Amino acid sequence: MIGLKSTLNVIDNSGALLVECVNILKQKVNNGWGGVGDEIVCVVKRARPVSAAAQNSVTAVKVRKGDVRRAVIVRTRKSIQRPDGRIIRFDDNAAVLLNNKREMLGTRIGGVVSADLRMKGWGKIVSLAPKTYPELRLNA
Amino acid sequence: MRIEKCYFCSTNVYPGHGSAFVRNDAKVFRFCSSKCHKNFKMKRNPRKVRWTKAFRKAAGKEMTVDSTIDFEKRRNVPVRYDRELVQTTIKAMKRIAEVKARRERAFFRHRMAAAREKQRAHRKKMLETTKGSVTLHEPMVVESSEPTKMREKIKVPVKAKTSLIQGEGRSMGMDID
Repeated sequence: MIGLKSTLNVIDNSGALLVECVNILKQKVNNGWGGVGDEIVCVVKRARPVSAAAQNSVTAVKVRKGDVRRAVIVRTRKSIQRPDGRIIRFDDNAAVLLNNKREMLGTRIGGVVSADLRMKGWGKIVSLAPKTYPELRLNA
Repeated sequence: MRIEKCYFCSTNVYPGHGSAFVRNDAKVFRFCSSKCHKNFKMKRNPRKVRWTKAFRKAAGKEMTVDSTIDFEKRRNVPVRYDRELVQTTIKAMKRIAEVKARRERAFFRHRMAAAREKQRAHRKKMLETTKGSVTLHEPMVVESSEPTKMREKIKVPVKAKTSLIQGEGRSMGMDID
């Protein structure tokens, strides 16, 4: 349940640490609440300091405090029911930053993500994550 | 499909029941009910909560070392379906349950015998300690000199029948507006 002013931890290596949600995109059915797999617009509230090397390079993306970015929700504290009936709750709300083409800004993900993301078309994030819950069974 | 154990009370959690909590280090806690989930959220230790299996095992109230317990465990090896294997497994399960029940009963009887012994010793000790401070009196006998009076019965004359005719369905009282 992510809404306006919700804060989320950022679990990729884009440089942001904490973001605040300002808008849920294309969510018309759930009264404006966002869940796992939903895209949001957010403001970076806390970010890792940009190192001098990164500042000089042209290609590296610099995420600074106050930036408005897009992100996708990967974990929610609110429990969700999976299609197989199990109810899953995570420890915190977490997101991964995206660019305008809906690709990940960072290159790595640290931490567990919900396997619901694959269902909702975020397979890339799931494959990058060190762990997902429920675990993926590739041979099934 | 897998039947999980509740993290808090160790009962079986069947698919579609209970809930799971995933900590940020990807450790999964499964709960059979909201009761267990709430107890977990209160940061209670299942070994210290009396109604859980963990407590009962830790306190020596249930069998902990027994060969019948070892049959039920996580086996992360997928087994191809085999009709015969299933049948023998089911037969074995019933037999094991029988043996387990019998052993549990014996264990309980043994435990209760020890407890009774302890209780008896405790009572005896209590009696020893209270012996000096308590003196017993003989019950006092009160002699009553007067014999109890018998109650006299008083005859009440039965009223004769009235000559009034009872109102047919109407009340006999006065009507007040």
